[in-house]
Amino acid sequence: MREKETVLRLNNFSLTYKTQKGPLQAVRNVSFELKEGETLAIVGESGCGKSSLARGILRLFPRNLEKVSGEIYMDGQEVLSMKEEDFRKNVRWTKISMVFQGAMNSLNPILKTIQQISEPLIIHMGMDKISAYNRAKELLSLVGIPESFAERYPFELSGGMKQRVVIAMALVTHPKVVILDEPTSALDVITQANIMNLLKLLKKELNLSYIFITHDIATASELADNIAVMYAGEIVEISPSEVFYSKPAHGYTMMLLDSVPTLKTTKKLKSIPGSPPSLINPPTGCRFHPRCQYVMDICKKKEPPMFQKGENHYAKCYIGESHE
Amino acid sequence: MNNSILLKIENLKVWFEIRKNILTPPMYVKAVDGISFDLKKGESISLVGESGSGKTTLGRTILRLYEPTDGNIIFEDKDITKLDFKSLSWYRKETGFIQQDPFGALAPHFTIYKILEEPLLINKIGTPAERRDMILKALEEVKLTPVSDFIGKYPHMLSGGQMQRVVIARALIMRPKLVIADEPVSMLDASVRIEILDLLRDLQEKHHMSMIYITHDLATVRAFTNWIFIMYAGNLVERAKTEELIENPLHPYTKALLEAIPDPDPENRRRMRKVPEGEPPNLINPPTGCRFHPRCQYVMDICKEAIPEDIEVEKEHWVRCWLYSKG
Ligand SMILES: Nc1ncnc2c1ncn2[C@@H]1O[C@H](COP(=O)(O)OP(=O)(O)OP(=O)(O)O)[C@@H](O)[C@H]1O
Ligand SMILES: Nc1ncnc2c1ncn2[C@@H]1O[C@H](COP(=O)(O)OP(=O)(O)OP(=O)(O)O)[C@@H](O)[C@H]1O
Ligand SMILES: [Mg+2]
Ligand SMILES: [Mg+2]
Repeated sequence: MREKETVLRLNNFSLTYKTQKGPLQAVRNVSFELKEGETLAIVGESGCGKSSLARGILRLFPRNLEKVSGEIYMDGQEVLSMKEEDFRKNVRWTKISMVFQGAMNSLNPILKTIQQISEPLIIHMGMDKISAYNRAKELLSLVGIPESFAERYPFELSGGMKQRVVIAMALVTHPKVVILDEPTSALDVITQANIMNLLKLLKKELNLSYIFITHDIATASELADNIAVMYAGEIVEISPSEVFYSKPAHGYTMMLLDSVPTLKTTKKLKSIPGSPPSLINPPTGCRFHPRCQYVMDICKKKEPPMFQKGENHYAKCYIGESHE
Repeated sequence: MNNSILLKIENLKVWFEIRKNILTPPMYVKAVDGISFDLKKGESISLVGESGSGKTTLGRTILRLYEPTDGNIIFEDKDITKLDFKSLSWYRKETGFIQQDPFGALAPHFTIYKILEEPLLINKIGTPAERRDMILKALEEVKLTPVSDFIGKYPHMLSGGQMQRVVIARALIMRPKLVIADEPVSMLDASVRIEILDLLRDLQEKHHMSMIYITHDLATVRAFTNWIFIMYAGNLVERAKTEELIENPLHPYTKALLEAIPDPDPENRRRMRKVPEGEPPNLINPPTGCRFHPRCQYVMDICKEAIPEDIEVEKEHWVRCWLYSKG
C-alpha cells in the first residue's frame, strides 16, 4: 500500500493578540501532521484557542493581532511566510477551506441557495457567474440538497439544510483539507447525525482531510482518526482515537472524559473544578496544574515537555514519567 | 415548596404570514400549532425537538417577543396574551431570555461591563458602586474569570462560549421569576456545560425561579430539569417527568431522538448512524394526521388521516400517537 501523503503540517505555530491588559497568547507552539483522507479532531474547552488556531491556519487574523510565528506546510510548501497575494490565489479556499463556527446563522439573507454556494467561486476565484452556477449545481446533489431548494432563501431552510449549504460553500473550490469549526453544535441530534453521516460520505468520496473542531467528545468519535486535546492555547495530548478514549495520558484528558455525559449510564458527571486559566497571565509549570486532581510538585514548577506515551501518542504530562 | 402555577399555556398558536408577492393570497407557517401546558413555580422543563420544530418561536411568544395568533398565555393569573408593549414592562422584569445565537445577541460597540449594566440602568437599580458589585458577581457566577480580563472587552474579542456566558449573565442579573434559556450551552464543552447547568439549577432553586430550557442535548438534561417535553413540527408530541421519559419513551419520534445520541466510541467513524431519513415537515402544508407519519416506521392508516389526541398513558406521561390510543 502507498504511504499516505502528509497534506498539512504545523510546526510550533503560535498566535498572540493585543489586548488592553497586555498580550494574549491564544495559540502556543502547536505542532501536528495531517495525512490525506484522515481526520484530526481538536477538542478542548471554550476559549482554549480552537477557533484562533483554525483561522490562523487560513491566515485570517483579527486587526489586533500582535504576533504570529512558526511554520505551516501545505503539501510540503511553507505557506505562513508566503506573500498574502500568493496565499490568497493558491492556498486559501483552493487547497484548504473552512466551515466557520456559527456560519449557518450568518448566511447572507438576500442570497438564494445557489447564489450562496457559487459566491466563493466568484469572490475568491474570480470565476464567471455561469461556470460558478454550474459548479454549484454539482454541489447540491453532493451534499444532499434537493434541486428544488436551489432557489430558496436562508429563512426558508431548516437548520440541517443551512448547514449543508455551508458545507457546500466550503467544498465548492475543490479543497483537499477542510476545517470544520463546530459544524453541528447548533443542531438537534437527529440532524446532527445526518450531517455527520454526510461528512463521512464526503470524506470517503473526495478523499478529504478534515480538521474537526468540537467541544463534544462523543461527536469527535464520529470522524476522528486522531484526537488532539487543546488546553490554554497548547496541544497537551495527541493520540489515535482508539487510545484517546481508553488510555488517556494527560490529567486534563482524564478529567475531561469524566465529564462526558452518556445517555446509557447514569454515572455522576464531574465537572472540572476551577476556571479556565487566563491566557494573559497563564499559570507556571503545567498550565493545567491548578485544576488537576493528579497534581504533583514538579507540575507547579517546571513546564512538562511533550513525552511519548505510546505509538503515535504524545502528552505534555508528568503522570507516569520518572523525574527527579 | 409552593406548588402554584406560574405559567399556563392554552392552545397556543403562532402562525407567520408569508406572501410570495402581493397578488397571491397569504400563506402561513404554522410554527406553533395548538400547544397547552402548565409550569409550576420553581419547576423546570426541557423543551427538546428537531431544528425548525418551533421551540424558539414558542419561547419568544411566551415572553411576548412575538404576537400569538391564537390561544392564551397566563402568567401568575394575569392574562398577558394581548397586553400591548407599554403594559408589558413589568412582565419584562419578571422574565429573562437567554437567546440562542450569542453571535448576534450582544451589542458590538458595548463593553461587557456596559452590556451587563444596561438592564440595571433601564430598571433604575442600585448606585454605581452596587451595580459594579452585581456585575462582577454575575461574571464570576458564569466563570468569566479573572473578571478584570473581561469587563473591558468587546463581544468580538470573546470566544463563542464566552459570549454565551455573557448572555446568560445578562439574563439572570435581574433575578427573574421565569427564565427561558434557548440552547444556552450549545457552544460549551461538557465540563462547563455541567457547571453552567448546575449554576442555572442552583439559582433556580435559590430564587425559586421557573425555567424553560430549550435544547437538543438529551444526554445532559437528565440531571437538570423536572420535565422533558418533546416537540415535533409545532406540536408537543410527548410530555413526562425526566427519568420517566428517558427510561420509557413512547412516541416513535422520541425513541429515534434517543437513539441518535452518540456515545463516545472510536468505532463510530467506521459506520453510518441510523437515523430517520427525510426532512422535518414543511410547516406551511404540514402532513395530514400525525405530522411525523411520513418518517415513522410504525405508520398505520389512521396516522395519515386523523390527528392523534393528547392522551395521559400513565400518570403525568402524555403522548400524541395512535399507537397508544384506545380507539
Ligand atoms: N480578537 C481577539 N482579541 C483578543 N482576544 C481574543 C480575540 N479573539 C479571541 N480572543 C481570545 O482568545 C482565546 C481563544 O479564543 P478562541 O475563539 O480561539 O477559542 P475557542 O477555543 O474557539 O472557544 P469556543 O469553543 O468557545 O469557540 C479566548 O480567550 C478569547 O477570549
Ligand atoms: N419570522 C418568521 N417568519 C416566517 N417563518 C418563520 C419565522 N421565524 C421562524 N419561522 C419558521 O418557523 C419554524 C419554527 O422555527 P423556530 O426557529 O421556532 O424553530 P426551532 O425549533 O427553534 O429550531 P432550531 O432548533 O433550529 O433553533 C421554522 O420553519 C422557521 O423557518
Ligand atoms: Mg471557537
Ligand atoms: Mg431555535
